[in-house]
Amino acid sequence: MDEKMTQRSVWEKIAAKLSKRSLWMLHYCTGCGAIELPPTMTARFDMERFGINPMVTPRQADILLITGYLSVKTLKRVVLTYEQMQAPKYVVGFGSCTINGGMYWNSYATMKSLDRYIPVETYIAGCMPRPEAIIYSFNELIAKIDRGEANSWKDYYNNYDFYRENQEHTFEGPIETYNDIKADAALFRI
Amino acid sequence: MNVVLWIIFLPIILFVIGTFMLGYSRKFIARIERRYGPPIQQVFYDIFKLMNKKTNISHGWMHDFAILMLLGGTLLTMYFIPVPGFSYFAQYGDVLVIMYVLLIPALGMALGVGETANPNGSIGISRALMMLAGYDIPFFLTFIGMAMLNNTTSMLDLIHLQQAGGIATWGIITNPILGVAALIALQGMLGEKPFEVMVAPHEIATGPMTEMGGKYLGIMMIQHAIGVVIELTIYINLFLGGAVNWFEYIVKLFVLFTLLLSVNAVFGRFRTDDAVRFMWKIPLPLAIIGVLFIIF
Repeated sequence: MDEKMTQRSVWEKIAAKLSKRSLWMLHYCTGCGAIELPPTMTARFDMERFGINPMVTPRQADILLITGYLSVKTLKRVVLTYEQMQAPKYVVGFGSCTINGGMYWNSYATMKSLDRYIPVETYIAGCMPRPEAIIYSFNELIAKIDRGEANSWKDYYNNYDFYRENQEHTFEGPIETYNDIKADAALFRI
Repeated sequence: MNVVLWIIFLPIILFVIGTFMLGYSRKFIARIERRYGPPIQQVFYDIFKLMNKKTNISHGWMHDFAILMLLGGTLLTMYFIPVPGFSYFAQYGDVLVIMYVLLIPALGMALGVGETANPNGSIGISRALMMLAGYDIPFFLTFIGMAMLNNTTSMLDLIHLQQAGGIATWGIITNPILGVAALIALQGMLGEKPFEVMVAPHEIATGPMTEMGGKYLGIMMIQHAIGVVIELTIYINLFLGGAVNWFEYIVKLFVLFTLLLSVNAVFGRFRTDDAVRFMWKIPLPLAIIGVLFIIF
């Protein structure tokens, strides 16, 4: 049964082959680590080779790149931004801080583990990751999309209660978001 | 029958040419910046990805309708412009018709972005209409000038006159002042760099496209690809003698586009008021002088 469920149609395989060549990235750089991105974009490492372009609005973006630590206040903005993005969408956690808190593990004001609040597709370990590491992880993401395994964005629609509970626990109360995730999931049959 | 085939296939042909031209522009600018750059078919991937998005947010009825008005207005303009082998509608609609229908896409975009109620989008639209006032007046003056010079308002007749007389009768030779004015106005019309105030990603988050995602942005990119070809074709038809066959047409398109891109690659962006002031200081007086030359 599982074999049948995970099999992709020919169209989905072709669509993955073409879609993986165009990924637009929204970088959320309130933590540190934004300084590693200009060399990744410009002449030396040039990520436009892989069709990865920086984009400025969440509506157009496919990748949400979270660099460095997130404080409690910025997490709220990240959740709002993430919910505005159009699926399929991939979150890339950049740096050790998004994985386990990194050097801020003991702080009361930072988030320790990003994937408890929004589903994360890939992590880049390091403090800071060099541009080579960023390019490498983007290539891993591209390969994952090609294999049809980059489906973590569906978790947010299917396990919304889990993420919502974690978010509200952090903010100590309900937060105001503008998207009805469950209605979207029913409308677009995710 | 032939006409029906052209009506069906012309949008597809121009779309393919337009996407390759946009891909070429990204590669060209990447090479100037000493980057490797994306493959030339990159814009195809982008459009496919956008049309293949799983969720698409709509802000209401007018938002959906205006996107179609944007694309429809561009296709309407496209049919009235003679290209090699197809000038069926061009014999009924002259330069004056093209002057009118050229404005429909901008109007459609204004309606759709108004519904999304995004402040960045509203600023982008106000800038777009501001620039329209800047580049349209000189561009239309060159239309009128060429019509007066050749005693015809039909774009088809203009092409035939230029092709009959050879290079010496091309608009750029017979009236270079109008040619230069229209070239500067064309740069603004395409939204290339010194006049890129409408999109301005670093200031207003791509302006009108801020709230567009998924299929909406995909249709806007298709419209942009066709629109680039249309606007370059108008210039070619008026000043560069049109084209006899498709090979000549595509060569002229790429040469003209490369010229505009070279300016795009080395310039920063004007402020909106500076861009409009520039348009009214340089191309507009040039166009007026060019028309006066023709009158007297």
